[in-house]
Amino acid sequence: MSAADEHPTNGLDETVHQRHRLGILTITAEAESADFGYLRDALGLTPGNLSRHLTVLEDAGLIQVMKGYEGRRPRTWVQITGDGRSALADELAALTELLRRHGASA
Amino acid sequence: MTDDEAAGTSGEAEAAGLLDHLGRLRRDARSARHAYWFPLMLFSLLTLAAVPFYVPPNIPERSAGVEQIPGSSVPLLSGSPGYLVRNYLGNYWLVALFGGVALTLLWYRRHARRVGLRTPSRAYVITVGVLTGLAVILPLLAQIPGLGFLLMPLPGDLTIRGTVAFLIIAAGLCVLAWAERSIGLAVIAAIYTGTALLASLYDIENVPGRLGWNVSPGVPNVLVPAMVLLIAGAIAFVGQRRQRSAA
Repeated sequence: MSAADEHPTNGLDETVHQRHRLGILTITAEAESADFGYLRDALGLTPGNLSRHLTVLEDAGLIQVMKGYEGRRPRTWVQITGDGRSALADELAALTELLRRHGASA
Repeated sequence: MTDDEAAGTSGEAEAAGLLDHLGRLRRDARSARHAYWFPLMLFSLLTLAAVPFYVPPNIPERSAGVEQIPGSSVPLLSGSPGYLVRNYLGNYWLVALFGGVALTLLWYRRHARRVGLRTPSRAYVITVGVLTGLAVILPLLAQIPGLGFLLMPLPGDLTIRGTVAFLIIAAGLCVLAWAERSIGLAVIAAIYTGTALLASLYDIENVPGRLGWNVSPGVPNVLVPAMVLLIAGAIAFVGQRRQRSAA
């Protein structure tokens, strides 16, 4: 089977193909880095849930988590890595291709 | 409908919903990051503050002093020498450009702390810093025998009116539009670049002069770019405030 014939769902990465993790990558790709609080509010997640998703993405090398202080207030910033950008681009390409194929076959 | 067809339709709907959701997150993040009203306002005020340097002194003073006036230490930012106050214009722009960049950087840091998204500002700082540095260093290097060609890419018409700083601001705004991923700022940067080039290459006072209005030479070349930034900054301020209160 040629690459062109391969079904687009084969291009979906299990780590990335999850609504909230895709959301984290999309937001962090839009900025130099995103604050934990912004991600939590934008994605409507609890802090514990967001932490779990961040750990999965960080372990996969798709994001970097930077913890620090601003004054006395602890703040966590999340930055997408080069691999994270590639994974996001691949995922979006696979989803777009999936839509295109269904549109063509309908 | 077969099971395969049903699965395909539901997969399509899921993909479409997911792409829509991600598009919304991207738009919201982009909109939250936009804070370019501040650099527009800041550089319009810095330009307006420079107006006294562009007003030529009265004619007897000018003609009497030409021979004794030393050249500016920052000739590219000062423009054509001829009267003493113009010599300080280069020093003014040197401080204003570096100060403006530093304040813009602080502004974006403050905005990042408030909204929770950082805008990449390194490219903006490097662009304005390097261009300002080159405007200082190139004339010095060009005095070294054999290095005179360094100033050849800059025709005198472009530098004579003391408006090189506008071109540096324009380059900075173009980079900022890319960093903010803002079409609005890209349009403003394009309009401002056109205005900065016009102010560098043409005596804008000729236009009101033809209409019978007596304006000080050189001043309209400063006021027009400043007004472009001021109006754009005011519109951006209102727009960005409305977006945030709607969010």
